[in-house]
Amino acid sequence: MSTCPAGHTSASSDFCDVCGMRIGVPASVPEVSPAAFAPEAQPSVPTRPTGPCPHCGAARSGRFCESCGFDFEAAVAPAASVAASAAPGGEAGSGDRSIEGANIPLSGTGPGPPPAGAALAGSGPAPAASKPAAWTAMVASDRAYFENVVAAGGPDAAAVEFPGYTPERRFRLAGPEMRIGRRSVSRGLEPEIDLTGPPTDPGISRLHAVLFAEPDGSWTILDPGSENGTLVNGREITAGVRLPLHDGDRIHLGAWTVITIQVG
Amino acid sequence: MSPPDFTMDVDHNEYLAEGARDVNAILTVTMAGTVAESPTGETDTAEIIIIDCSGSMGSPASKIAEARAACSAAVEVIRDGVAFALIAGTHEAAAIFPEDGSLAVAGPRTRELAKQAVARLRPGGGTAIGVWLRLAHQVFTSHPARLRHAILLTDGNDESESSGDLDAAIKLCEGVFSCDCRGVGTDWRVGELRRVSAALLGSVDIVPDPAGLAADFSAMMAESMGKRVADVSLRIWTPEHASIFLKQVAPAVEDLTSRRTESGPRAGDYPTGAWAPGESRDYHLAVQVPHPGAIGQQVLAARVSVVAASPDGVEVLGEKKVVATWTDDEALSTRINQRVAHYTGQEELAQAIQEGLEARRLGDKDTAEAKLGRAVALAHQSGNEETAKLLVKVVDVVDAATGTVRLKKKVEDADEMALDTRSTKTVRTKK
Repeated sequence: MSTCPAGHTSASSDFCDVCGMRIGVPASVPEVSPAAFAPEAQPSVPTRPTGPCPHCGAARSGRFCESCGFDFEAAVAPAASVAASAAPGGEAGSGDRSIEGANIPLSGTGPGPPPAGAALAGSGPAPAASKPAAWTAMVASDRAYFENVVAAGGPDAAAVEFPGYTPERRFRLAGPEMRIGRRSVSRGLEPEIDLTGPPTDPGISRLHAVLFAEPDGSWTILDPGSENGTLVNGREITAGVRLPLHDGDRIHLGAWTVITIQVG
Repeated sequence: MSPPDFTMDVDHNEYLAEGARDVNAILTVTMAGTVAESPTGETDTAEIIIIDCSGSMGSPASKIAEARAACSAAVEVIRDGVAFALIAGTHEAAAIFPEDGSLAVAGPRTRELAKQAVARLRPGGGTAIGVWLRLAHQVFTSHPARLRHAILLTDGNDESESSGDLDAAIKLCEGVFSCDCRGVGTDWRVGELRRVSAALLGSVDIVPDPAGLAADFSAMMAESMGKRVADVSLRIWTPEHASIFLKQVAPAVEDLTSRRTESGPRAGDYPTGAWAPGESRDYHLAVQVPHPGAIGQQVLAARVSVVAASPDGVEVLGEKKVVATWTDDEALSTRINQRVAHYTGQEELAQAIQEGLEARRLGDKDTAEAKLGRAVALAHQSGNEETAKLLVKVVDVVDAATGTVRLKKKVEDADEMALDTRSTKTVRTKK
């Protein structure tokens, strides 16, 4: 019998026969360098906290909250990857270590808040002890919107085809800004939310819109003046004006692309 | 008998984007060998032919004559040693050969006697397909054969029983025998026969001209004679709380998702009926895992095995794993597996046709044109010429690439029904 990363007992030793996760490969981010964290700062499997879920308060069993799906281990890992990739040298790293070291004894019942804001913005004090809300943008194709675009009958609209298959694409919103658009080698443009595809939505400009991180952890959107405009919840947004975003907001752009904002 | 040899290939995009939960795979299942080379000695097969003898079969008189000829042609194809019987269906059902409701062993003498019984068939009465299925069930279960196949012919609506009666009879027969259904002429309902063929793992088709029946029946019987393994299922394990759908996508689209029976913790069996050596079918498996993993984590999204019932219990004939890895490398996670994309398009094509025909029946011209237009575009994109040819009998195509079409003012019933029954046939992609 083996034990999988989520804590299930499994008769198979390659993949857990309850949850399917690979056994024997650590669940946390493999590319975290040792310099970013002191070994004792990481709440890894051997000393698993057993308190309630910090997100919804339900009793905890295993790696994932059975009520809301909160990932107890990954809540530390993304902070680690952000800190590791953002830290140019030792200074930010040692800052992280002390933040992590300080938090773990205090919040023995759960993982500490990610020090992402502190590490990147360079502002000294530890971030607010509020729950980490993860903002994600989910990209998909929208048939109803596409049909409206074609019906509106722009000069190139008739030539566009709705894609037969669109893979679901998710982007964790992180950093000070996330540009939405299509990669351009000639302009040196590499948007964080790259909608180059395939499938390629030809109605999306190279730099179509930008998402900005606000100090309170929320995000706003701005269309700098794209060719075909951007809709948020069905209304076209004014170029150059920032609009706050909320959980569930739907951003339509191009011929058939919809980006849904998910918080938490 | 040595266990039948099945191979399975899996095609999927192995990389998932951060936070993604959907794993799509195409499973190609092939039974090794060829019919010509495989021995029939230990195969136990039973065949029943069910012929509609309602009053309408007599007008014109050629209809019942062609049906009799088709029945005899099929009997001729039945291999020596195979058990068989013939049933005449009206608002009741009668065993016409053997008359005692048993199965005869095929040989020169019994085939001759069967043909004489067929020649005596006279049309008259109503139509109650459920009653015919119940009699077939009774005859089949009186015999130990494991490969059980029926051919059912009707020419009209199931007017002598209620829809509930038909459903109850279908439920009784599910898993007991397979049934290929044919409707001759255009007075029958595709939806009714499809209920039978889908549940009983068979095909449904229109034979517009009775003269075409003999060739069709012979072909169906010959195909059945090639089967060697009965009751093959796909056994699929998925992680706790994962959601799953399974559709056969080649040679035709058939949604198997609701046919699952539980067969162990987190595992279910999906029936696929009888197989002949050399046969190959493709399936689209979609699994949504409950939680995304961290970057670098791997998950077993599904464990698929081919199982078959045998006298000694259930044998596992092959197993494959469908594994996915989370990555933040978008070049990897946005790769689209071409076979998944192709079959997703074919599934959408089949659905667009069904929805378009339904809208047309309800008089909703705009929806019908939008859906059938979408079907034209998909058929064009995927090179599905057979389906494209069926579509142009129902719509005028303005632009195939964008799917701009107009409903024809006058559509022959036979053409509409042919599109309905054959819309699920797919174009195959090879690895």
